[in-house]
Amino acid sequence: MASRVLVQCVRSFTQPSARVIFENITARASAVPVANQRHFSFNACSQRKALTSHTKVSSPLAQLCRQYGDLPPLTLDTIRERVLYVLKLYDKINPEKLTGASHFIKDLGLDSLDQVEIIMAMEDEFGFEIPDAEAEKLMTPQEIVQFIADKKDVYE
Amino acid sequence: MASSAAAAAARLSGAATGRVVKPIFSRDLDEAKRRVRELYRAWYREVPNAVSVFQLDITVKQGRDKVREQFQKNRLVMDPRVIDMLVIKGKMELEETINVWKQRTHVLRYFHETETPTPRDFLSKFYTGHDP
Repeated sequence: MASRVLVQCVRSFTQPSARVIFENITARASAVPVANQRHFSFNACSQRKALTSHTKVSSPLAQLCRQYGDLPPLTLDTIRERVLYVLKLYDKINPEKLTGASHFIKDLGLDSLDQVEIIMAMEDEFGFEIPDAEAEKLMTPQEIVQFIADKKDVYE
Repeated sequence: MASSAAAAAARLSGAATGRVVKPIFSRDLDEAKRRVRELYRAWYREVPNAVSVFQLDITVKQGRDKVREQFQKNRLVMDPRVIDMLVIKGKMELEETINVWKQRTHVLRYFHETETPTPRDFLSKFYTGHDP
């Protein structure tokens, strides 16, 4: 993940416009030793480059880019796997009888309050609120997968 | 316009049941069921918090089963006004539990631990004797 971000930064910095900006920065930094953020990071970069000569990324430009964290992207398969995993963990559901199209109330013999509990488990798993007006219509695992894919814009 | 729609709905339901009544919150059974589900969600999320704040000696599963039991006690109610009233009382209980206005004894009163169970079968009733 971090390596992917670093590579992206290097790719953006190897473009000529960014390099020109970097040349300006080096000129300014050498001329006026002002203690601003970029000056410090440039100094630290050059020191770090001198000390650790075996870094993965060759140029010190990569040290200037920011690193963000994010979850892995959702696909329909991963959503489906997670939904079925959460359902198998629920103790009132028989894991052998669980399929993608099994209706909670008619096939699996659950209650409407059990269905509310299942939707709450999905909320906890995927990290976003599912309002009750839409939650009462989700009666099979396939519908839940479709709803989450709609909300998260996964292959529409 | 909303009031006229409500009046029309009340007239329709009144035509079915023979009596037109002013609703408390929800106009039909579906809305009342939605309120019940929202209350159940709130209670379900509150149980682990209550178990830790009141330092109860029950597991979270036992607490949630007790919540389910209290909801199942009223499962045969069909009148939206009665359901609304029960939801209001449940919300009051929830508010008192969240804000810790209750104490541990009030929360554990749901579990009926110290009450002697009333005799159900013949022999138990016989042993306890005839108390007119």
